[in-house]
Amino acid sequence: MVEILLHYGFMQRALIAGVIIGLISPIVGVFLVVRRLSLIADALAHVTLSGVAAGLLLQKYVAAFAMVSPLYMGMAFSMVASVFVEQLRRLYRSYQELAIPVILSGGIGLGVVLISAANGFNVDVAGYLFGSILAVGKSEILAIVGAGLFVLVIVFLFYKELFALSFDEESAVYAGIPRHGINLLFSLAVALVITASIRVVGILLVSGLITLPVAASLQLANSFKQAIVYAVIFAQISVLAGLVAAFYLDWASGGTIVLVAVGILLCVMGMKRLIIWMRKRQDNLTTG
Amino acid sequence: MATWMGVKSIENVLELTGIYFSYENQTVLEDVSLSLQRGEFLGLVGPNGSGKSTLLKIALGSYRPDRGEVRLFEQPIRRFRQWSRIGYVSQKANSFNLGFPATVWEVVASGLYGKMGLFRRFNKAHRIKVDEVIEKVGLTPYASRNIGKLSGGQQQRAFIARALVSDPELLILDEPTVGVDAHSAEQFYKLLSHYHREQGLSLILVTHDVGAVTTYIDRVACLNRRIHFHGDSQEFVAQQQKILSDSYGHEVQVVEHDH
Repeated sequence: MVEILLHYGFMQRALIAGVIIGLISPIVGVFLVVRRLSLIADALAHVTLSGVAAGLLLQKYVAAFAMVSPLYMGMAFSMVASVFVEQLRRLYRSYQELAIPVILSGGIGLGVVLISAANGFNVDVAGYLFGSILAVGKSEILAIVGAGLFVLVIVFLFYKELFALSFDEESAVYAGIPRHGINLLFSLAVALVITASIRVVGILLVSGLITLPVAASLQLANSFKQAIVYAVIFAQISVLAGLVAAFYLDWASGGTIVLVAVGILLCVMGMKRLIIWMRKRQDNLTTG
Repeated sequence: MATWMGVKSIENVLELTGIYFSYENQTVLEDVSLSLQRGEFLGLVGPNGSGKSTLLKIALGSYRPDRGEVRLFEQPIRRFRQWSRIGYVSQKANSFNLGFPATVWEVVASGLYGKMGLFRRFNKAHRIKVDEVIEKVGLTPYASRNIGKLSGGQQQRAFIARALVSDPELLILDEPTVGVDAHSAEQFYKLLSHYHREQGLSLILVTHDVGAVTTYIDRVACLNRRIHFHGDSQEFVAQQQKILSDSYGHEVQVVEHDH
């Protein structure tokens, strides 16, 4: 079965892209979720949509852009937007979540206008909305690998600062940790994760891969390192099982991956309940 | 006069001079001057909304006063960069989320991150340091537990350990015993007192707990927009009722700690 899968070039690329996304999404996701910023991913994903639309528009009318993947334009848009998010969070210190709807609606508005201005594309915009991992091209694989490396390096180099800021931003700042610089780098990493994930799960499902594995891992994790490791394991299972199932059942790959992640979350929650119930019963038996 | 030149004057760890501060058009602090010498344990008392937390934020550089000067370790705050010389423990309740996936050890270790600086990796010496501090605050059996699963008093000791792990010279605590039971609060003050006596740690403790102030503390400042009293705790105890009714504006019930 594995040989059949790897026989196809598109499937090889799909697996490489999937494994990278399944690694960086949950890592970034753990930091986003514990900082109560998981919706930032959604907002940036919608900005990426407008970037992709702008890229498609350029592809259509400017000859020089004909061969450039619109994903690069999406990447540029979401990186700029991530800087804006940081600025907005600084501006509205007591309403930090306000940055999310501002960026989100701005992104959709611009995207919809650009799509309508192009008067229809010959490419399927739905592929960007819902993901089309089986159609990942060779140049896109390079972009995904590059984004993956950047994110891993950032998290590896600044792990301790990111942890301190996530746990208690106020004390971290008093201890002399450079909040704005670190937050900015992290926002750029989030923007890259999102752009890289768009081909795999699509704009509408990006936050699924960033938050669902983390939601499951938080049920089990004692330490922060455990939270990261469990989230990565759950994300890898979701991506690989989802891809294989999508291939054989001919389902949409993004949707299948996210459904597997939801399934894992439900299983983890169910198992936890069961364990608690069994412990209680045992206690009752021994004491009663 | 020749000897005057040679004698090193006692260092002020913190010096606030003529601080004014207002939010919008409400004056919170008016002509507040306060100093803390090395090795001093200062209790800052005052009613809710008296500007205590604001004053701490000014001392820590996160608010800029409208008027007045802040000096830390004899340097103007604008030029002060050695933030790891100061430890800060905030009110527990609003500083972290109980579901956070971190062990006591991870939380205490994070106290070293600012001092270590960017790009430095955690090494064996750091690990030993973390283990030692955890032992000193009596949390060794809980080191690998999730921080959210400890009692309020234990959490507070973990936060003290996080502040102490970087060997600060000044420790600032903002109502650290709110929501902590009396017994744990007692142990908490004893721990502070130990660090104060044995290691010469300078401390500022913001508190409502006037009884604790009089038991463990050298000097007291009573704040309600202005400084209403600043002196020895003995003197504070002697004129307690008068000072408190001056600054709080009414009679205050004093809870004594019996030792």
